[in-house]
Amino acid sequence: MTQKLLLKSALPAALTALLADHAVFAPTGEAERHAFTCLSSAEASETADAVNLDGLTTISPKEILFPRSETLYGIGLENGEISTPEPTGPTVIFGVRPCDVRSIANLDCSFLEKGFVDTAYVQRRENLTIIALACKELQSPACFCDSMGGGPASAEGADIMLTETADGKAFLVSFLTAKGEAIEKLWETASVLTEPNSADTAPPPPVCTLKVDKPQDLPAKLMAAFDDPAWERLSESCLGCGTCSYICPTCYCFDIDTEISGGKAEQLRCWDCCMFSDYSRMAGGHDPRPTKKERLRNRFLHKLAYFDERHGRTLCVGCGRCIAKCPSGVDIAHVIEWGGTL
Amino acid sequence: MSDHNCCNNNPLVPLQCKLIGITEETPDVKTFRIQCADGSKPFTPLPGQLAMISLAGIGEAMFSITAQGDDWIESAIKRVGLLTEALHSADIGDAIGVRGPYGNSFPADALKGKDLLFVGGGIGLAPVRSLILHVLKNKADYGEIDVLYGSRSYADLVFKADLFENWPKQLNTHITIDAAEDGWDGHVGFVPSYLEEKAFSPKNRACIVCGPPIMIKFSLEALERMGFAKENIITTLEMRMKCGIGKCGRCNIGSKYICLDGPVFTLSELDELPDEK
Repeated sequence: MTQKLLLKSALPAALTALLADHAVFAPTGEAERHAFTCLSSAEASETADAVNLDGLTTISPKEILFPRSETLYGIGLENGEISTPEPTGPTVIFGVRPCDVRSIANLDCSFLEKGFVDTAYVQRRENLTIIALACKELQSPACFCDSMGGGPASAEGADIMLTETADGKAFLVSFLTAKGEAIEKLWETASVLTEPNSADTAPPPPVCTLKVDKPQDLPAKLMAAFDDPAWERLSESCLGCGTCSYICPTCYCFDIDTEISGGKAEQLRCWDCCMFSDYSRMAGGHDPRPTKKERLRNRFLHKLAYFDERHGRTLCVGCGRCIAKCPSGVDIAHVIEWGGTL
Repeated sequence: MSDHNCCNNNPLVPLQCKLIGITEETPDVKTFRIQCADGSKPFTPLPGQLAMISLAGIGEAMFSITAQGDDWIESAIKRVGLLTEALHSADIGDAIGVRGPYGNSFPADALKGKDLLFVGGGIGLAPVRSLILHVLKNKADYGEIDVLYGSRSYADLVFKADLFENWPKQLNTHITIDAAEDGWDGHVGFVPSYLEEKAFSPKNRACIVCGPPIMIKFSLEALERMGFAKENIITTLEMRMKCGIGKCGRCNIGSKYICLDGPVFTLSELDELPDEK
């Protein structure tokens, strides 16, 4: 595999080349609004200026594959006619951090495996090319990807890997899959790639300062502690606000609800959160997880035990968003550490 | 597994169907007979499987399939929430959406050669009925059949034609209601205690239990005291579901999704799962 060089000065041209026949999502905005947005093709230079590749986005890119709200189908209230949304075309996500790239493998497990394939998801996924960006510096003190099987420079799941050079003027580019090679051709045609010389090297990747001791048998240890009073204590500070799951790149639980507009009933799929009090409450009132304790236990066991039992992966990539954003200090790293001591 | 059927090959989009029959079972339970808009059968479920039933503009929920014919399926549905309220106001000919079938099924083949004891409470007889009807259709394959069923009152007993006319000719029925009332000369008392009173032998007998969570809990305990092995006690669970295809995340008990891996479990399988039923 050969590496090419993409000068930062060539970034507008590189994005313009992608925009010709792809929807392109890249990080834009700052602070709380730092998130992946769909770039418009109007002004290449303006578009490139809007891209903010510094740091980890506040909102993860999961909504590109799994929108926070989408119409599954509409049904005419008079004629009963079913209408389904137009499928999306080829899409590129540009500048995804390695932890977020790994989270897509988790979404794939849920939406594509174990029986049914989700129609909307598979359509978007097959059309998606992932251009990942290695972390040159530590994104936050809450990052712990290298404790969770990933790493700040991990290329797992990426179609193209970008690594910033030591001088900060360019990216070393590796094209890793057939989808990546298709973009390589596109960029070759647009003459945005150059050959790296010996001075164009990447510095060694950073090391996460937050170290979480995750034992191999964490699922078994946590399951053995199902009735431990610690769950009650852990849940005491939780507000049930759902911030953790909304910003989590791997949380995929959803609600399906109906909205009526223009003589049509639209069946909408929306993000949901297992910490909400009506999440598992049935018509008639019975709720198998009636208090915060059961809900929080289910949330962490789903991430750290159940998903592993079902799909062989932990449903946490160590991005640290939930640790940084939880208003009451609920900390998944503490839960993993506690599990290790059991 | 039987074939899943839906619209546009998208497992979340329902088939357009119509109501071709509505039977009032109790003041708050009706049985709905459903057929595709073109007159065909939506799908052929195995005993114990589920269907996602919807009304456009109202909502969608998972129900057990109670019975089936050559060109219809039936669900007995209790009025408890928004969707079921709307279903109970529906008329014959009304449009209804259906997708399915979902979940595993009762182990009808593995039960061959055994005596069967069905234990039901309230609307809990609905999922079990699909297996009772299957067994009666293939009666030579099974041993003695008993149905022990109870409800709050006589009015709340579902499938009265089966309980008092059809089934007594083909199997042993044991009906109870929670409290004495005028005109009832049958058994009075709760299902779990009636079960122990009848002292069914566990020898070569499997038991299929469904009802309200509290009835299931005490019935399972009673059956264990009576000497039934956990492998011979089978129940079917209910959880809130949105997708039915193992994606939406809410019907899990431990790492199992009730819509895919359930709803039918033996007690030995249930014991492997966390206590969150």
